[in-house]
Amino acid sequence: MVEADDSGSDRRRLIGLIAGGVAAVLIIALLVVGLAASGGSTAIDDALVSGQRPPAPDITLPVLVSGPGLPPAGQRVSLSSLKGTPVVLNLWASWCGPCRDEAPIFETAWERYRGKGALVLGLDLQDLSGNALAFLRENSITYPSLRDGSDASKRDLEATGVPETYIIDKRGRIALHITGQVTELRQLTVPLDQVLAEK
Amino acid sequence: MIRRSLAVVLTIFALAAAVTPALGVTSQEIYRETRCPTCNTPLDISNSPAALDIKEFIAVRVAKGQSEDQILDALVAEFGREVLATPPKSGFDLVAWIVPILLVVVGLGAIPFVTRAWARRRAGDAPAPQISPEDAALLEDELRKHPG
Repeated sequence: MVEADDSGSDRRRLIGLIAGGVAAVLIIALLVVGLAASGGSTAIDDALVSGQRPPAPDITLPVLVSGPGLPPAGQRVSLSSLKGTPVVLNLWASWCGPCRDEAPIFETAWERYRGKGALVLGLDLQDLSGNALAFLRENSITYPSLRDGSDASKRDLEATGVPETYIIDKRGRIALHITGQVTELRQLTVPLDQVLAEK
Repeated sequence: MIRRSLAVVLTIFALAAAVTPALGVTSQEIYRETRCPTCNTPLDISNSPAALDIKEFIAVRVAKGQSEDQILDALVAEFGREVLATPPKSGFDLVAWIVPILLVVVGLGAIPFVTRAWARRRAGDAPAPQISPEDAALLEDELRKHPG
């Protein structure tokens, strides 16, 4: 009788241990997923610092304002579909003062390089679409833009905020990441000339 | 930039003042339901430039008499579901509401079993000392040799 009680107690203890272990593993998995989803990765910058060109994340977003090689506004386009064209990808928002200050530099770059096969492409982030379109009108911006109301593409690009800029080469790899405001045209023209010269 | 922010703040206050709370939803109620996309805090305690834009967006629609659901739907269309401060109580998002309640219920339900197990273990921790007859006789001898 005592032995039967002991074996029942052992079984209950074993079941309790297994249930506790499963619960602990689930909680740890949730924490890991949560931490991974909250971003904070610096893999792109780490690769650039070590002299590599990491592949640009294949983000797919709706077009806010269309341009050469892009579908009409409202339709979605993926970055991978732009392979073969060097891309200056500028993350901006209408509420961002430095974005307003640097916009004319991107417009000048667009006017200078659109005939040479490069694409200046805005990416409006965490913004109201009406305000974003008003921003483009007010600043006489003619280069195309994509739009992401959430921060998913910002996470994928490992950006910390706006403005940030990426130079993507013909093979769809990130060649340069500029954090913060672009203050001189040379910051764009020097890397653009380099990636345009590459095969 | 400062002039623009000031204009946005003044517009928000003017629109908020124009709405009598008793008539329907107030901007403040929707601010609490919404999350600032740049700072991840509820909109009512955020004053980031993005939050000010969204507050204006809400205040304009409240002034037009739109319902809370209409305004929240418009915000989700602009920013995705992450803009909501609390997950919706439907579909997969229901998990976020059910799981914490379930955990509390399971935890409370486990208390009697755990306490009973602890009590049983504590009772079994100190078994009565067993002494062999030889040892008992030796002990008796020793006690007899050293009385008092």
